[in-house]
This record gives sequence, C-alpha cells and structure tokens, in this order.
Amino acid sequence: MFDRSINPTPGKSFTFKIPDIQRLKLANGLDINFVQKEKLPIIYAEIVVFSGSRLDPVEKKGLSYLTSLLIDEGTGEYNSLQLNEEFQKLGTILSINSNHDTIILSILSLTEHFSRSLELLSKIILHPRFDERDFNREKKKVLDRILQLKDESSFIASSIFEKKVFDDTCYAFSEIGYEYTVPLITNDDIKNFYQKTITASNSKAIVIGNINEQEVVEVFNNYFNKWNTSSDNKKLFVRPKRNKTECYFIHKGDSNQTEIRIGHIANKRNSADYYATRIMNTILGGQFSSRINHILREVKGFTYGANSSFHYYKESGLFEVSTAVNIENTGEAITDILNELKNIREYISVKEIEFAKSYLIKQFPSRFETYIQIAKNFESLIIHSLPDDDFKNYTKNIECVDVEEVQSSAINNILPDELVIIAVGDKEKIYGQLKELFDSDPTELTILGTNLS
Amino acid sequence: MDNNLLKINYEKYLLANGLQVILYPDNSVPVTAVNIWYRVGSANENKGKTGFAHLFEHMMFQGSQNIPKEGHFRFIQEAGGSLNGSTSTDRTNYYETVPANYLELALWLESDRMGFMLPGLTQEKLDNQKEVVMNERRQRYENQPYGRAWETLFSNLYSNDHPYNWPTIGWMDDIAKFELNDVKTFFQTYYVPNNSSLVIGGNFDTGQVKELVDKYFSAILKGSNKIPAVSVSVQTLKENRKVVLEDNVQLPRIYFAWPTEKAFDKNDATLDILSDILSASKNSRLHKTLMFDKQIAQDAQAFQYSGKYDGSFIIASTAKPGVTLETLKHEIFHEIEKLISDGIPQDELTRAKNSIKSSFIYSLQKMDLIVDHINHYNCYLDEPDSFVFDLERYEKVTAGEVISSAVIYLKKPFIELNVIPKEK
Repeated sequence: MFDRSINPTPGKSFTFKIPDIQRLKLANGLDINFVQKEKLPIIYAEIVVFSGSRLDPVEKKGLSYLTSLLIDEGTGEYNSLQLNEEFQKLGTILSINSNHDTIILSILSLTEHFSRSLELLSKIILHPRFDERDFNREKKKVLDRILQLKDESSFIASSIFEKKVFDDTCYAFSEIGYEYTVPLITNDDIKNFYQKTITASNSKAIVIGNINEQEVVEVFNNYFNKWNTSSDNKKLFVRPKRNKTECYFIHKGDSNQTEIRIGHIANKRNSADYYATRIMNTILGGQFSSRINHILREVKGFTYGANSSFHYYKESGLFEVSTAVNIENTGEAITDILNELKNIREYISVKEIEFAKSYLIKQFPSRFETYIQIAKNFESLIIHSLPDDDFKNYTKNIECVDVEEVQSSAINNILPDELVIIAVGDKEKIYGQLKELFDSDPTELTILGTNLS
Repeated sequence: MDNNLLKINYEKYLLANGLQVILYPDNSVPVTAVNIWYRVGSANENKGKTGFAHLFEHMMFQGSQNIPKEGHFRFIQEAGGSLNGSTSTDRTNYYETVPANYLELALWLESDRMGFMLPGLTQEKLDNQKEVVMNERRQRYENQPYGRAWETLFSNLYSNDHPYNWPTIGWMDDIAKFELNDVKTFFQTYYVPNNSSLVIGGNFDTGQVKELVDKYFSAILKGSNKIPAVSVSVQTLKENRKVVLEDNVQLPRIYFAWPTEKAFDKNDATLDILSDILSASKNSRLHKTLMFDKQIAQDAQAFQYSGKYDGSFIIASTAKPGVTLETLKHEIFHEIEKLISDGIPQDELTRAKNSIKSSFIYSLQKMDLIVDHINHYNCYLDEPDSFVFDLERYEKVTAGEVISSAVIYLKKPFIELNVIPKEK
C-alpha cells in the first residue's frame, strides 16, 4: 500500500503553444485576426464594432442595445423570419451582443457552410432593413423587459452600483436603457447610430477555425468590400473622482436575501500593475478558495457564493465585490467584506501569492480550448489595445511579480475609504443593521438609483 | 458531413469492486478531464428528506480522511484545473479538468472521497453547508422572479409517491432538518464503486492511467448496503388541473405540463423536435404567432424534459402587459391544433434537424463536456460511444411522427400553472 495522506506530485509538464495569430487586411481597411485550427470542421467568426452604449445620448439611453436587436431583423430580400430560416438551414448560430464598448456580431458554423453564413452576416451588417414594424415590436419588447427587471434584485444592485461608481459618466447607465429614455428613441435614431458607428474602419474581425489564410481573405473580400469606411469615433469618458465611502440601500419588499455590491472605480486594463492586481484579486475574491468566499461561505454560511473582481471597460476599470446573503446577516456580511478589504492592504503571505501564481499560470492553456474562447482572448487584446505578445509573455509577466508589488497593488487598488456600498433588500430588516454598522443613517435610493426625497 | 466524426474510440472495463472505468484518449489537447457519475439523485430521496442528494454534493467538497475542508478546490486550482459537481433527479456528477500532468492529483482526490469520506465528516461542516444550501435556495429560487414555478409545477404534475415530485435542491423545511447520521447512511448506500462510473478523457497514456486507476480505486470496498430501487408510479392525469401561484413579478406567466415518457424512450427525440418546431427559433410556431405577429407574449418556450425514470412536456409563456393568460392559453392551443391538422412542411423539419446536428459537432470542442456526455451515454444506454446513435434518433424522425406524438401526449389532460403578480 501507499500513503494516501501525501498528495501525488505532477508528471513532466507539457509545453503549450499559444495559437499563432495572423493579421490580415482587406482592401477597405478591415483588419482580420486569424487563427487556423484543423481538428474539427468548425469556423467561428466575429466582427467587433467599437460602438456600444457608452455612445448612447443622455436622453436616449438604450440606443446601442436596441440597434443590436434590430440589425438582424431583415436584410435585402429577407425579412426577419426568413433571415432566421436561412441561418437555421445551415445549422449556423448567429449571435449579436451589445455592451458598453462594442457591438459584437458572430457566427459559429460548420466549415462547409461558412461561406454562405458569412455572406448572410455581411448582408446583416451592410444592408439592415430597419423596418418600422420591427422597430416598434422590439422597442416594446425592451420596455416590457425593463418592467420585468424591477423584480430582479441582482440586476437592481449591479446597475445602481455602476451608476453611483461612474457618477453619470458614459459607463454609469444600464445598456438596456430606462423606462424614460427608450420611449424617446426613434427608428431614425437607430439608422443614424448604425450609419455612424457600424463601419469598417470602426471594426475588427476575428476568425478561428478550419480554413486557410487565402480562403479567409477571399471570402471576406467577397462579402465585405463594400462596407462603409467612414469614421466618427470619439473619446467620451472623463474619469469621475472617487468620493468618501457611502452606503446606499434600495427597498425590495419580501426579500429573504440582500444583494450586496461594494467597490469603486479602478485603473484600466493596460495599467502597469495589471498582473500584480490579478494576483492580488485571486487571493482576495477571485476564485473559490479566496479570502472573501472563505469567510462568507465556508466559515459563516451566509451565502451561496461571494467574489471580487476587476472589470475592464475600454476607458476604465471597475472593482466590485458581489454577493447575496440571508437578510438577517446583512450587517455582519458587509463588516466581513470591509475587513477583508482592509486586511489585504496590510498583509499577504508568500504562500498565498505562490498559490495564486500557480493557479493563473497553469490554468492558462485551458483558456484556449474552444474556438470561441480563443476568439474572446484575442478580442480582449483588441479592445484594450494590448500588444500581440501579451499572451506570449503571460507566464513571464506573472512569474516576475514580487511580493512587494502584490502588496502595493492592494494598497493602490483597494480603497476602503472611497467605496460605494449598495444593499438591495427589505428595508424593515436591513435599515437597522446598516445604521448600526456605519453609525449614521444609510441613504435610501429608488430602484432607478435616485435619492428618495 | 459524415456522422462518423462523432464516433469515439474508448476502452471500458470493470474493477473487481464494481467501478466502471472508461478511457477516452485524445492527445491533441493539453488537458485531461476526469468525470465521475454516482447513480444517485433526488429521485432516490424520500418525502420529508428531500434535497439530500444535492446537500451531499456540497459535503463532498468538505474534505475526507486525507483531504482538508476546501482541499479539493485548493489542490485543483493550484494545479490550474477547474472542478465542480452537479445534482439532477437521476445522478450526481463530479468533475475536474487538469493540465495533463496533474491527472494523478485528480484521481487521488476523487478516490479519497469515494473511499474515505466518513472520517472527514463533522457536525460543524454539515451545519455550515446546510446554511450555504439554504442560501443557495433563497438566491436561485425564492428571491428570483418565477423562481418557485418549476417546483410548483412538478409537485403538482407528479403524485406524492413519484420520484420527480420534489425539487432537486429540496424543500426548505427538509434541508433545515438534515442530520449527520442520515448523511452517513446515504454515503454508505450510494457512494460506492459499484454504483458509479469513472470516465477519463484527454491527453494520457492508457497503460499508465490503468495503473493509476488501479492504485487509487481498486482498494475501495464494494458497498454492503442494498441499493433501494426507485419505484415509479405511472402518471395519468384524469382531468386538467389549474394551480395559481402569487409571486413578486410584473408580468403573469402561464405554464403547461403533460406527462410524457423517459429519456431515450420511443418518442423522446420526436418530442424534442416538436419542442424545437414550437419554440427553438424566431420563426418557430409559438414565437412567430405570440411574439412576432400578435405580440401578446414577451417570451415562449417549449421542451421535453426527460430523465431516467419519466418525462414531461412543458410549454411556458409570459404575457405582455394588458394581455390575459386566458388569451395566451387560447393561442397556444390554437397553434398545437394547427400543427396537428395542417402538418409540418419538410423544410421546417430539416431546419430543426440541421440545428441539432451542428450542435452535436460544436459540442466536440470541450473535453469536460465530451466526457460528461460519455458518462451520460454509459449510465443511460450502457454504451459510451452513443453520439452517432443519439444524433440518428433525431435524423430518423418524420413529420408524421411529430404530429402523432403531439396527438398522443398534448391532447391529454395537463397541469396548468399561473404565476401572477402579488397583490401589493
């Protein structure tokens, strides 16, 4: 027999090669980032358009999102349903997503149907119909969805958190829009937004799969050479300043849990201490055995899960601790989180850092398993204007971070005196807990995030 | 495209203690995936002790004789792997995907909790995870709009003695009452090698892996408790029944459930295709009528929900503001009638089949999904290499069969659930 109490040591490690990316350029200036994969007869392609809801006018929040819903509602000879049938015949999955910085249109297709699938995608992008009837239907659908979201505590918590942190700048608003902005959007607004932002010079393409370089250039030239190349890209974000820590709550009757968000604005993805911050957050709340999940879930059982993360938008970062706890323990859970935010600035052990580095380095190859995963990795390089060798240097960049750098990252990037704290739950049960915690009256907000007078 | 792309080369063998082992080598990937199915789920529970299989899944991450609490996560994550488990009505699975050179670590961890779980179990750990699971129930069901709809629907569809009568997470009152002794007995009965199936897929040398499996698993004793059979009473509804649930929602939603048949049974694939024709895409029957033409619904879905012991066909749809559930109901049944009387054009059926075929190919990209499928086929069909068989079930379905399955099942009595806004 052998001793089961000793964990086995790993075998010889495999060398992992990051897929080679090729940069191809079309005559009309569209860049294509291409990785050839031969194992399966599948191709994934996406067009990243630097559009997104940060470009929404103040009084018409929700414009980019609604545009993304309408762009595949018919093109040229096909109406909305016929277009959908064309994709279904091929077994191709079309997805269109709008977020703060981009609208991303993608297809996942079998190799044998790729050319036709890309042709359909190009029709969508180049010749959307924007019929009035489709506009009215999708707009109503968005408004009814906004109505439904009034009952989703986690959505309310996240959207008000971002509103407070970003303080009415372009990242402060929900992508879907509001009941007082969406009604003001007209079909002409959609057409204008499309004309101005969904252009070749404002976009990049990514192709991953079973196809070669010549074929990629050929099919893209066939279908995308007439895409409008005008450009109207402006920088809109002005970083708001952080304020002194403040606690807000939103009353949600009948809740047996409280949705909690705590955090503040953070540095951009391309800041010099990105890797140190990644290591630090892995320890703080970035994975299951992190400090925050450990105390809130595994020691106290207050929650199903708790985490902290740094989100990266094109022009800004966002630090956020997120959890839902049973309502009786709201105050204590917030206290525990605040303690962890203080503690990590004071002490991080070498052992914790070694664990985090090992985790981040060794899980890296598994981030390149599916074609979509590969594409999303390269997408992040494009969105954050990072150099091509970012992945090649990934391991080295993590390895070379030293203990002091991780500690400084906590001191510089976790700011307990400048937090926005949001709690969504039953007022009767959480008000007293919050008041006791901060020794002052917490500010009550409406579910739109405005002060309750 | 050739369906043989979906054929897998595997080796299956049995250890003396009854553990089924399936090896699926693929050296084109840098990872190895380990996937264990225990043939126990909420269907094996009893009234008053519901939620046990799921709670037990939590306990399996609380350490065992040689692994400390949270040890599974720490070891696997430090190795750059990912891990989790899940519980359904029929089975509980546990899985790790690790860089290929860490395979032995995953086997060590899995074998320790299969063979040496009880010495690590304490009252303190149980109390902690009971709290966690109660919060999981609050977060995922009770504090979500429409979150209690599914358990309400199934507990009304299935009679009290049927294994699908209660939700997998269990009733809150039952979770609060779990006792340590019950946990121990449950483990000794169901978490035994002769009730489980281990699949290893990815980058490894077959000879070496067999030695490792032998080293870690062959010393685990076969279970000595008799594994109780699950008894399934035949469900027939004598008449339609309507249930109303008040919830914190803005828009009312209607649900229908009909008893159908279990997974891989004669009409199972046909009912899947029926559900696709009703609701899988923008131009599906329900979406087109309810959401596109009449614009009386915010969403609509239909699916055949089938497990090891039984199945049901579900349709659900949310009413637009000002639209009554009666109106939705009328239109939904009108669509079903129309499908039965007018038939299904060939190209509509082909579109549904093409989407299914592509999804089979797309699913071959991720090793953890592949090994879970292999285990699924092994446990349901006793044949791991069933991807082609499974796809062909769908390819063979005719328009006539879709219509007759609609007649056989959807013309019978059903449960109707109305989730309506709470009076404030």
